Amino acid sequence: MTITREYLPEIEFEHVSMRYQTDAAEVLALEDVSVHIQKGEFVSLLGPSGCGKTTLLRIMADLIQPTSGEVKIAGETAREARLAQKYGIVFQSPVLYDWRKVKQNISLPLEMMSMNKTEKEKRIHNLLELVGLEKFKDKYPWQLSGGMQQRVAIARALAMEPEILLMDEPFSALDEFSRERLNEELLSIWSKFGNTVVFVTHSISEAIFLSDRVFVLSPHPGRLSAIVEIDLPRPRTKEIRNSPEFYQLISDIRSSFEGV
Amino acid sequence: MKNYIQLKRWTPTLVWIVGLLVIWEICSWFLLQVLQVPLAQSKLPYIHELMYTMLEYGSTLFSEGWVTFTNAAIGFALGAVVGSLLAILMSLSKWVEQLTFPYAVGSQMIPILGLAPIVYGIVHDDQLSRIIIAAYITFFPVALNVLRGLRCADPAAVELMHSYAAKPWSVYLKLRFPAALPGLFSGLKIAAPLAVTGAILVELMGATKGLGVIMLRNLYYGPSHNYMFWLTVIAGALLGIFSYLLITIIERIVSPWQPEFRSTGGDE
Repeated sequence: MTITREYLPEIEFEHVSMRYQTDAAEVLALEDVSVHIQKGEFVSLLGPSGCGKTTLLRIMADLIQPTSGEVKIAGETAREARLAQKYGIVFQSPVLYDWRKVKQNISLPLEMMSMNKTEKEKRIHNLLELVGLEKFKDKYPWQLSGGMQQRVAIARALAMEPEILLMDEPFSALDEFSRERLNEELLSIWSKFGNTVVFVTHSISEAIFLSDRVFVLSPHPGRLSAIVEIDLPRPRTKEIRNSPEFYQLISDIRSSFEGV
Repeated sequence: MKNYIQLKRWTPTLVWIVGLLVIWEICSWFLLQVLQVPLAQSKLPYIHELMYTMLEYGSTLFSEGWVTFTNAAIGFALGAVVGSLLAILMSLSKWVEQLTFPYAVGSQMIPILGLAPIVYGIVHDDQLSRIIIAAYITFFPVALNVLRGLRCADPAAVELMHSYAAKPWSVYLKLRFPAALPGLFSGLKIAAPLAVTGAILVELMGATKGLGVIMLRNLYYGPSHNYMFWLTVIAGALLGIFSYLLITIIERIVSPWQPEFRSTGGDE
């Protein structure tokens, strides 16, 4: 039994479609999307706005349910996986609780688990160290910069040590410099945790820099139009952004949009 | 340096208050001596006369004011609890909201002046009716503002709790209640002075102790008790202001994270 388990993909989407009913018309947000993501894989969902990449992520997280198709998370339904606290989510905005200091924001998910105080404090300490915010643990969210706030959100998402980390354009509100630095930090964090990551972005270079595979989606209706393997070596450093292979991948992915 | 800044900050307020008192005193003199209006001192009494009376009867004002304040405070606390509970019930169920909300709104249409004697007629206790009226005035603004606060929690923050598979009571305890605190305090700030006014109003209907009692008594005694009457009115106003400030201070202690309390100075 355990041997067959090993080959099971972590996230499986079979012919998933999503329709919204608006006042004017019926919108097909996702049409017949089938996706298989392996355990421990870093995958990006890339596409322009309206391609359904966020919808796809929200279906994975069991925040919405698809109109048709089947979703399996490590052999369970998305709902079962959510109830088993297998997800960590980072949204586009940090969504920190104003009334909680940094360390209290990070401890929020831990309060939903039964965990003793010393272990909780140890884990919070490790997470603060991981995202480099030990000095700011007693600050309120509004006392931090946007990049720092998003780092708190990442630490919070990792607090439950989730099997699956879902990130919905987490760095899109940041400037280019902060974004690239946080990309590198994210990879170093991921290398320590090794969980499955699904990362939504509309930045081609961000998707390439981070991922093992990039799922390219096209809009109206949202469909999976290409899957691009990123065979750049790991660990990846910022120098890799200047390599010819990196540029080649950018132009490959860009051309995959042109047919649409 | 710090004292100097403090001084600079308070100077305009101080100048404003002193200026106002001086203008009052001049107007009072003008009415009495120049225009020679009949009953001029009832219309605008001398500040210095008020101060003399204050020195003489200050303790009476204070003890009667204290009775009014404690009754108003008990009613206020009761109303705040009832209002908050109602808001929680309404936020939990649309059905409860549809059932109770029209009555809550309707309740505020009844004039307190008419309601006070009815309540007194039912309970036959001046202390209890003061408490009931103060509670009655308080519950509505509190319920309305708390309900809005409970509802306005960031949808993404709710989804976050959902993703943790948080229990409903956890969502309330950790998200909706803290998010509703600013609403609770704006409701309390509206209600606090009103609860004091309400308590005084009930006292006018007939009570044995309280600010309203000596207010009415001195009004009946006529011009000779004019200064005392004015002092009771001023004491009532100060009591309202005091209640408001008290809530503001509590708010700062309980929820210092609110945007309006954030210092604009660069901390980092």
